[in-house]
Amino acid sequence: MTDERLVRRSEYIWDVPRDEALGMRVPGRIFLSETLIKYLEPGAIQQVTNVATLPGILGWSLAMPDVHTGYGFPIGGVAAFDATDGVLSPGGVGFDINCGTRLLATTLHKQEVEDKIQALIAKLFQAVPSGLGSKGRLRFSEKELNQAFLSGAKWAVNQGYGNTSDLKHCESNGCLSGADVSLVSPLAKKRGMPQLGSLGSGNHFLEIQCVDQVFERKAASLFGLKEGQVCIMLHSGSRGAGHQICTDYLKTFLKASHQYAITLPDRQLACVPTDSREGRDYFSAMAAAANYAWANRQIMSFWVRDVIEQEFNTTATLVYDVAHNIAKLERHQIDGEHREVYVHRKGATRAFDKDESYGIAQPVLIPGSMGTASYVLCGTKKAMTMTFGSTCHGAGRVLSRKSARSRLTWKDVTTSLQQKHITIKTEDRAAVPEEAPEAYKPIDEVINVVSKLGISRAVARLTPMGVIKG
Amino acid sequence: MQRYEFLDDVADVAFRAYGRDINELFENAAEALESIMISPEDVALKEALTIEITSDTCEDLLYDWLSELLVTFEINSFAIRQCRVTIKGFSLTAECLGDRIDQSKHRLKEEVKAITYHNLEVTKNDRYHAQVTVDV
Repeated sequence: MTDERLVRRSEYIWDVPRDEALGMRVPGRIFLSETLIKYLEPGAIQQVTNVATLPGILGWSLAMPDVHTGYGFPIGGVAAFDATDGVLSPGGVGFDINCGTRLLATTLHKQEVEDKIQALIAKLFQAVPSGLGSKGRLRFSEKELNQAFLSGAKWAVNQGYGNTSDLKHCESNGCLSGADVSLVSPLAKKRGMPQLGSLGSGNHFLEIQCVDQVFERKAASLFGLKEGQVCIMLHSGSRGAGHQICTDYLKTFLKASHQYAITLPDRQLACVPTDSREGRDYFSAMAAAANYAWANRQIMSFWVRDVIEQEFNTTATLVYDVAHNIAKLERHQIDGEHREVYVHRKGATRAFDKDESYGIAQPVLIPGSMGTASYVLCGTKKAMTMTFGSTCHGAGRVLSRKSARSRLTWKDVTTSLQQKHITIKTEDRAAVPEEAPEAYKPIDEVINVVSKLGISRAVARLTPMGVIKG
Repeated sequence: MQRYEFLDDVADVAFRAYGRDINELFENAAEALESIMISPEDVALKEALTIEITSDTCEDLLYDWLSELLVTFEINSFAIRQCRVTIKGFSLTAECLGDRIDQSKHRLKEEVKAITYHNLEVTKNDRYHAQVTVDV
């Protein structure tokens, strides 16, 4: 049964009408289909409503079709706040600042890799540190760590971990300006230092994938993708550094939001005015964490390329690298007016209609759950008007980690992966059921909704051949 | 008396801890958090550690206490098996016993990114209750 708070506007749009009694400044808007609405939790609607009460929010409090309850913002939440009268909220970015995905395309065809997949996964597993408590292979000094915070992927490339052309194929060229290391706590540095160059655990992964279908030949060709081609996708973020930066600023913001007389429906939504000292400090520290994440993915790509070169004597080109937990200062047209806004994307991906990386629409990477397809999409004009240039970020959870573990075993999941000829390697077998496809919504339906809405266009679908689960 | 229980939370891991008094509540919450990250039965009572924290409210004290345990686990590689907590006002002193984490003898279970303020509460009726959601 559909929640009575929802009003259906069209086939894929459900609104939460603005209710002044609840303090909503704008309406809520959730993008779903008949299939996906079955998964919508009342808690997620509440969180969309809560975000709509924050000062300076413009347009709508949005949720993408992979929405589920998070803490503070829903996962899949997008909100734009006026750059002068609005707020910044660490809860609208999440603890894993600049958690994101990166896709590398090889020159190899599926047939060249199929027989060697076990060995390749084993080599990659050795090369890229993953799993619980994973630490990078290298020891970086504090000076180097600070450079990573300041310059992101650019620093990593300057250190030899990749090519200058990689930077062109990263969101924001792999570096947010305005990062300030003096605003990163010693604790955040301590947590981040040993982990630079590691995948982490949970839903983070490294996958060998194969392009199994191309939907838009021209865009695919520009992105360097064709059917049968082997690619590698990485999903990782800013590790303990980002987690600690978010923790530090949430505490500051909770105290400060009282001073600024901001009423919070949920403490995890702690926020401060964008032009306050606390707001500026957070944005600079968040930029540092985002840069750390880009450096992290850049370093791991270097090791992936190294393995591909050793095993197959060929290279892998960076298709794109995009964040799905981030706040960005952007210009959007709202009610016919160009406005500067802080767009918070928490479990949502930027999907701009124009991007300098390929001179066409921006590539968007959407990872599926373990054993299911991932997608390369591209941004659209409609995304610019409907979603502040944003789209979904993945399949979105439906089962808690606890339920997934109680319903499925490692054996169930690996048997099902084997049937699909997918190799898996992990340090943590017990956690594998948590990431099983059954724990997530159907990715194909999520992509169907964003495509039908027109907030992104499907360019290619990639299916997994081998998985390293972090 | 049940010391803690895990709740079904789609996004993250949430638990409810109980205590006959506030000290016991904080001790049980600590045990719940440690049990998310490591198998507690593998942790020897080998080294002592004292933790002192002062906060502004009871909920903040719980948040700061659990955040400190997380940092102790991740940065100092120290897992706590037992602790004795004494709370006065919004200040806490904890005498902890545990061991250095060694992945050859300890099985790590889940990487906790952070403690969240989401639905965080400390209540009292016949006994103390706390609800905590952690991001994993």
